[in-house]
Amino acid sequence: MLQAITRPSSTLKHSKSSRIQPANLAEVNTRSVRNFSITSRFSEIVVSKLALAAAFGAVLLASLSGCGNTGASYEPDTFRINLQAEPPSLDWQTSTDSTSFDVVSNIMTGLTMYNNDMKCEPGCAESWEILDGGKHYLFHLRKNALWTDGKPVTAHDFEYAWKRLLDPATAASYAFFLYDIENAFEFNSGKVKDPNLIGVKALDDWTFSVKLKRPAAYFLYLTAFCSTCPLRKDIVDKFGDRWTEPQNIVTNGPFSVTLWKHEYKIELTSNPKFFEGEPRLKKIKMFMIPEQATAFGLFENNQLDYVDNRSFPTADVESLRNSPMYRNLPLLRCSYLGFNVKKKPFDDKRVRKAISMAVDRTLFPKILRRGEAPAFTWIPPALEGYSENSKSEFNPEAARKLLAEAGYPNGKGFPSTKILYPQREDAKLVVESVQEQIKKNLNVKLQLEVNEWKVYLDILHRDPPQMFRQTWGADYPDPETFMNVFTTHNGNNYTQWSNAHYDDLIDRAAAEQDQKKRAAMYAEGDQMLCQDEVPIVPLYWATQNTMVKPWVKGIGFNAMDLQFFRKVYIEKP
Amino acid sequence: MLALLIKRMLTAIPVLLVVATLTFFLMRLVPGGPFDADKNLPPAIVANLNAKYQLDKPVAQQYVTYLSRVVRGDLGISYKYLNRTVRDILGEAMPVSLQLGFTALVLAILIGVPLGTIAAVNRGSWIDVTAMFLSTAGISVPGFVIGAFLIFIFGVWLKVLPVALWETPWHMVLPSLTLAFSPAAYLARLTRASVLEVLEKDWVRTARSKGLSRWATVIKHTLRNALVPVVTVLGPLTAILITGSFVVEYLYAIPGMGRFFVTAVTNRDYDLIMGTTLVFAALLIVTNAIVDVAYQILDPRMKVEG
Amino acid sequence: MTASLNTPVQEPVKAVSRVELAFTRLKKIPSAYIAFWVVCLICLLAILSALGVPLSPYSFDQATDDLLVAPSLNHIMGTDELGRDLFARVIYGSRLSIAIGFVTAGVAFILGTTYGAISGYCGGKVDTLLMRGVDIAYSLPDLLVMILVGVLVGKGTFGILFALGLVSWMGTARLVRAQLLQLKEEEFIEAARAAGQDGFSIVMKHLLPNAMGPIIVALTFTVPSAILSESTLSFIGLGLSAPECSWGTLASDGWRSLRSYPHLLGFPSLFIFLTVLSFNCLGDGLRDVLDPRTRLFKG
Repeated sequence: MLQAITRPSSTLKHSKSSRIQPANLAEVNTRSVRNFSITSRFSEIVVSKLALAAAFGAVLLASLSGCGNTGASYEPDTFRINLQAEPPSLDWQTSTDSTSFDVVSNIMTGLTMYNNDMKCEPGCAESWEILDGGKHYLFHLRKNALWTDGKPVTAHDFEYAWKRLLDPATAASYAFFLYDIENAFEFNSGKVKDPNLIGVKALDDWTFSVKLKRPAAYFLYLTAFCSTCPLRKDIVDKFGDRWTEPQNIVTNGPFSVTLWKHEYKIELTSNPKFFEGEPRLKKIKMFMIPEQATAFGLFENNQLDYVDNRSFPTADVESLRNSPMYRNLPLLRCSYLGFNVKKKPFDDKRVRKAISMAVDRTLFPKILRRGEAPAFTWIPPALEGYSENSKSEFNPEAARKLLAEAGYPNGKGFPSTKILYPQREDAKLVVESVQEQIKKNLNVKLQLEVNEWKVYLDILHRDPPQMFRQTWGADYPDPETFMNVFTTHNGNNYTQWSNAHYDDLIDRAAAEQDQKKRAAMYAEGDQMLCQDEVPIVPLYWATQNTMVKPWVKGIGFNAMDLQFFRKVYIEKP
Repeated sequence: MLALLIKRMLTAIPVLLVVATLTFFLMRLVPGGPFDADKNLPPAIVANLNAKYQLDKPVAQQYVTYLSRVVRGDLGISYKYLNRTVRDILGEAMPVSLQLGFTALVLAILIGVPLGTIAAVNRGSWIDVTAMFLSTAGISVPGFVIGAFLIFIFGVWLKVLPVALWETPWHMVLPSLTLAFSPAAYLARLTRASVLEVLEKDWVRTARSKGLSRWATVIKHTLRNALVPVVTVLGPLTAILITGSFVVEYLYAIPGMGRFFVTAVTNRDYDLIMGTTLVFAALLIVTNAIVDVAYQILDPRMKVEG
Repeated sequence: MTASLNTPVQEPVKAVSRVELAFTRLKKIPSAYIAFWVVCLICLLAILSALGVPLSPYSFDQATDDLLVAPSLNHIMGTDELGRDLFARVIYGSRLSIAIGFVTAGVAFILGTTYGAISGYCGGKVDTLLMRGVDIAYSLPDLLVMILVGVLVGKGTFGILFALGLVSWMGTARLVRAQLLQLKEEEFIEAARAAGQDGFSIVMKHLLPNAMGPIIVALTFTVPSAILSESTLSFIGLGLSAPECSWGTLASDGWRSLRSYPHLLGFPSLFIFLTVLSFNCLGDGLRDVLDPRTRLFKG
């Protein structure tokens, strides 16, 4: 190193004086166009300058690595995670995406809260009564729930929030969550103008009354959802659209937003006024690192404490599976193939069933490598209504027979068929595999058509093609959220499949108070979807892969992939 | 010179207007809207959204409204980042991109120009061959591959530089290097070609015959003239580097504005698409004008037309 | 030499001899000469695979027992997530990558030359106007144009080809214009004009043939840059419909597997690198050969 530093100093001097050296002049006077002796000497100077620069750089780098990024393995009482993307909005009434909800779940508390078994625990509401055969909910609020500015959370905050959620002027995407309430749909769609006709009312500061138009067995889950959290009228009125900025926002959850550097990071700080007591974790740093491989590099360098699917390159999951930091758990999110039953050849349910029976779902986990579970039913095994009897089977022999019965023996005469899929790594692999399997098992050659995400959605919304690959994630841990998708008027039923018996069944099941009967009704519906009518081919259940540093304690996981950090704490291993 | 600048700025107005118009209608022709989401929304809710953002009005009317707002300096609101205006978003992202782009530009010049000059002076030697191979290789590798390798080698493996994020000056090293890679290679090739050309000129020979050393000649007489074509490409290059590269910002998690050229389009965030496009167009016009002025300084004989 | 280039090229015989001359000169630059043959080889590969000639000894089909196999004697480049042989995929991908390169260059050539020729020949107000048009075209968001073209022209290969061409003609236009502005001041153009030739034939017969050198050189650089753009495009998420593949889609698909399965990124990238490198070296060589200003072969 010493040599590298001393040598160039002499060459520097050399270069300065070189112009007036007589020897150089003499050489130039020879007028040779290519004077290699001089040029090579000059390049030697340049090269040694570069060497100096490199040596200098190396010294800087060495000093950097000492003082810089890889020092401490963890930050005390600080939890660092990756959100991957900027939350589109922290306004819990207008945001619709999981990134925003990851933040909101930790800064807000609704009437109830999920525990990690996805059951509702008391939140702002201490207790509740279900009256009138499930049509009337009466919530009794706790008196020690405070906003971050010290004011108590009252029933009026809920009444204001829910009415704002339903107000057409708010244009909240998730307003439909409350459509089960009296006059909610009518008000949201402009048919009823008077908000006082909506079935929500603060009877006094601590009692909140909700009247439904029909019993809804899943209603309680909705009160734990971010969209239905309370909201302060005075804050929204005062700051307008900017009420979600850290300096303005007022919240009631275990943490509060203290810093929001857009497109970069959000910092949450523990809330000493939280009714369960201040969390042990003092700070949560949520970064927005879009690339999985980068985020995982940061995790390895101890700059993130926790990573999940968003921060995991698929290829590396396998090699990490044996790590004690690794965990994998199933999610309530299903990937499926849908048929447009109005288009040939899928107007014939034998063809649909043949395709379903010719797809070997057990291949997908091997191909996708994120610990996915093959899906044989539409209702996930973790939910009520799941039944072994509803399972579709893999049987190429029977599939070929069905196809022949439908008029396509050995795939002959099968119309040209396209599978639409969005530009996503997993979607591509799955449809390629399906294409190959159908070709092998039914001798039918399907075409694939990729589209940019929004173009793909646009096609699905306007004119769904013969086949498409879609996913559905649960809004709440109840089979209703899955089964409702394929009712006739659901906007997400791209299959155009319409069955009066199914619609009636799902409608009755939603109102059914007897859990056993309800489960049986869903099982019947599931059987229609997977065995009899087959408008869809469920493919696989997604899973969440996580890595947690050993110093992170008390972290829980749940099937809805909701991130609650109020019980997390950092402890030296 | 000032007159030239003013003239260029005046012609910028119709150019920006055409860019705005074309982009506006182009983006409305592209299928999919800002509120198309994974989960389809009930029609009543879609109607509410469209009413709130005035997307239910005829497109021509929306266009007029947009233009009249832009003239007043209001770039509109984001449809994706619900509580933020386009001006907020670009205002926060611009300084970051300026910093990154400028560093990369300086780096590209510091690497590219000397490399090209050395190669030209040593034409045909192993130095030339190596330099040209390196620079050809530099423009033959996709940016995301270079970035991935740099992160892996310096960040994860050697652990000497930060993997990503945007905190200290050290965090700028890898991203600006990744961004500078291909422009540096390009500049090296360009510099070499133009230095070679100038070296053959008669007046350069005269200078050398007067007794100046080869390198002194190169530095004193040649480089200044050889830099003219280099300066030409600096215009668009600056615009491209400053508006940032999507890939670099994406890889290193940098909160710059390069990402919006992609995400605004994929989100169909209409006003943000317009905002980024207009900013880019303006930047392009300004840098081109500056380049033309720089031309005149470097080579007073050059006559530049507006 | 300068004189011969300034003479308008009219007789086809002379044009042929010029190509021959250029080729003889190219032989004297080893890097360009090697690059020339590598380019020929890759093009041959692409054409053969497009014609359906089985070039790979390995099956193209998915093999669920052989997922993500590392390179070995059975699969010299390994296999991908679906158990497809990567060598077979790379060979298959060559036709699209090369097609993308050439079609883009072709579209850029036709659009750019026409536009640049009009602008350069007319000069004055028309020129100023057309050049502002180029500024505008530069400013329009590429991604938007490409998505729209994809929707209007139809997805898949043709859409991508057309879209890439549509956003990459501006450079050629600028170059052709600059060449023509310079050339039209030359004496032989004055002579042709005095002889009563109209504008169109002056451009076609005199100006363009003399500007062809730099244009061809620029085109050899358009080919590799289109191949690179396509790979970045797949990276952003605007790519070809599966199971079609190009080196670009292969590389961007394999990119995240860099650590666990480096072969998925390595081999397609190597082919991109080799092709682009060869085209660039060839372009460099052609510039020296075709540009009258470089006196490479003096003395």
